Amino acid sequence: MKRSHMVAALVVFFVSILLPLVVETDYALQILFRIYLFAALGLAWNLVGGYAGQLSLGHAAYFGAGAYGLALFSGKLGMSPWLAAAMGVVVALACALLIGGVSFRLRGPYFVLATIAFAEVLRLVAKNLAGITGGDVGVQAPALFHGNVNRAFYWAAVVLTALSFAVTVAISRARFGYYLMAIREDEDTALSVGIGAARTKLAALLLSAALTALAGALYASLFLYIVPDQVLSIDVSNEIAIVAMLGGAGTVLGPIVGSVVLESASEIFKNVFKEAHLLIYGMLLVVVVLFLPEGIVGAITAFLRRRALFGGMKAKGVA
Amino acid sequence: MDLYAALQAVINGVLTGALYALVGMGLALIFGVMRIVNFAHGAFMMLGMYATYVLFTHTNISPYLLFMVAGILLFALGYLIYFGLLRPIHGQSDFMQILLTLGIGLICTDGVLLIFGADYHQINIPLLGKNIHLGEHIVVNAPWVVSFVIAVAVALGLYLFVMRTMIGRAARAIAQNRYAAPLMGINVFRVQAISFAVGIAAAGIAGGLLLPVFYIYPQVGDQFTLKAFVMVVLGGMESIVGAALAGLVLGVVESLTSLYWGNEWALAVDFVIFLLVLSLKPSGIFGRQKA
Amino acid sequence: MSLLEIDHVSKRFGGLRAINNVAFAVEENEIAFIVGPNGAGKTTLFNLITGVFHPDEGNIRFQGQDITHISPNHAARLGIGRTFQIVKPLRNLTVLENVMLGAFLHTASPSKAADQAREILKYLQMEKAMHLPASGMPLPMLKRLEIARALATKPRLILLDEVVAGLSTTEALALAEILKRLPEWGVAAVGGVEHVMQVVMSIAQRVVVLDHGAQIAEGKPQEVVRMPAVIEAYLGTKYKELGL
Repeated sequence: MKRSHMVAALVVFFVSILLPLVVETDYALQILFRIYLFAALGLAWNLVGGYAGQLSLGHAAYFGAGAYGLALFSGKLGMSPWLAAAMGVVVALACALLIGGVSFRLRGPYFVLATIAFAEVLRLVAKNLAGITGGDVGVQAPALFHGNVNRAFYWAAVVLTALSFAVTVAISRARFGYYLMAIREDEDTALSVGIGAARTKLAALLLSAALTALAGALYASLFLYIVPDQVLSIDVSNEIAIVAMLGGAGTVLGPIVGSVVLESASEIFKNVFKEAHLLIYGMLLVVVVLFLPEGIVGAITAFLRRRALFGGMKAKGVA
Repeated sequence: MDLYAALQAVINGVLTGALYALVGMGLALIFGVMRIVNFAHGAFMMLGMYATYVLFTHTNISPYLLFMVAGILLFALGYLIYFGLLRPIHGQSDFMQILLTLGIGLICTDGVLLIFGADYHQINIPLLGKNIHLGEHIVVNAPWVVSFVIAVAVALGLYLFVMRTMIGRAARAIAQNRYAAPLMGINVFRVQAISFAVGIAAAGIAGGLLLPVFYIYPQVGDQFTLKAFVMVVLGGMESIVGAALAGLVLGVVESLTSLYWGNEWALAVDFVIFLLVLSLKPSGIFGRQKA
Repeated sequence: MSLLEIDHVSKRFGGLRAINNVAFAVEENEIAFIVGPNGAGKTTLFNLITGVFHPDEGNIRFQGQDITHISPNHAARLGIGRTFQIVKPLRNLTVLENVMLGAFLHTASPSKAADQAREILKYLQMEKAMHLPASGMPLPMLKRLEIARALATKPRLILLDEVVAGLSTTEALALAEILKRLPEWGVAAVGGVEHVMQVVMSIAQRVVVLDHGAQIAEGKPQEVVRMPAVIEAYLGTKYKELGL
């Protein structure tokens, strides 16, 4: 990574950490929490959806696994909250193994449908096995932090985003990242150069699931109570995917930018339209697909590259 | 085990299944001709439901006549959506098409939510109270029977459209070989537009027929999108007949699941079957092609 | 022990016999060509060798090892590289990155992979295009890119499916000059062509002729073109192309 980029990233990180000194209202901190949480979720999804090119619309499964893991392992088995959260990650990894094992053998729309179906099955199981999961009524989740809760959770979200960011950068510069991109571009070609596509996709999914589950546990812990339709719903899956697509799937900054834009727009919309804030998701999706398929960051990068190319051509007297 | 209860469940399942079949056939047509994974399909069914609902509450004409209006409105909408939104991304990846239809579906659902509110409604028609008795043990609700009959008629019409009309044949030609079709003089865009419009009109009609016997609320379509996909996969991705049969199967399976395990598990069973078919025989129970 | 042994292999698709009892061997550092009109089964044969499909009958052996039922990525790791008839560049990556993917088979370090990729691109006279995206390249460059990517995996055998199709004669012969030197690198090659016979005659040591999935001739290029069965399979204008 270029020295200047590294410095910029660190600056942003420290500014984010110091932000609560200036921003103190609960409301603002909660919105910032949401922005960072979904940035982390978007980055996590990006590993599978952006780099590997596998459109998963069922990431709520891992989010919910983290949330329910935290709630149930501490509530029913008496584990300490952080240990329970770790167990949530383990559950998510198990889900990823199963989901990936089945879904990655499918191509194109079949894969997408399978990811949706798995998440829905989990949601319905959570709704119906009321004895274990509390069903529709829901279940309590323990607090991971005490004291100034909003600030603590905000910091946790920043750290998680930084972690996801670091993982993404590391992958994009290593062989693993190249392999993922190869699979995205043309899986048959990837196989022909010896890439174990199934294994590689699964590895990306496991990483993605683990990060997503951590975010789910954080979320559950902030609200102290979860229900299936809140953490396992297709709306969550969609929001995660839209964040990454809007910002630019397959780019490092994309999901972060996407989260800032989407969550801010969503918040504004919520205040105006109250219940129909999903409308903005739909509209943004349509806009992205029709006009900005590379996402915001992708479009900006392409623009800059074209300008540089054009400038170069001008300098050589070609244009 | 009460055999009559099971038989009742099967009959109920077939009645429901016919409506499912209509929704599934529409999706199969769209997927077959355009390879578009229409994530807004259930939303269009919901729009058909609301269109019929609005017309009914204002004119008091029977939904069993108004469903045709819903069909026409959705046909027109489908045509517009095709040329306005789908045509521009023709040839782009599956990924993008899925996201686009997903977005359209969200806009429809939340738009309706904004306009009509989140409340559940139910309409009241005189037929609602009448029951038909088959022998001593089986009872069917009259509106379901009427919906069933009309659904079967429309399904048959759809089948004839695809099999016998020029446009239907053109649609099948495109489905078999989208590169050769234009070379045969087929106006691909026009046929695709019509296929899409017909596909969602079928969903809209199913919505109109569902109105008398179901609750209406903005998110009602979401479960139908997923069920439609289950049907299409079960039926062999592009086969309209397959999707129709799968619809009946789905209706019966759900009904029996509700009987023995409770309502809550019906949708879950749908998905489990779906995942099993995807893992074991991706070409569907009735299908021929490779996935 | 030959490098590659096709041992009486057959493959059926539904009612169609795509490959019918084909048997031949390719030695190390040899250049062989499989010749046959479109539909004769060349690509199917390549798919069978690399494990995209598996034969219904017969065996395939590579360096003595039975590879009849392997998977494509395993075949690559064993040392079988391939190019595709319809080129499959990774469009959103640069030319260099495309080739690096092949090099990654033997190193996990991106910088080492880049070095190896650069070397191969120099050999194929493509250094100037290294940092351009693959999506903008003309066909002759893409064909070379396919070869470069496959070569980066350090194969013992490379399968070249219609590698000169779509190229002008000049371009094809230029590419043939490069391919001729593959044995110097320790790479044997099996090419599949429909009809660019000048290329075949100038660099092949062995020719196998397929017609409708069946093997109708095998031998040195000069012998094969004179065989009556081969001439009969290539009636009409193709007769002239045989250089008789």
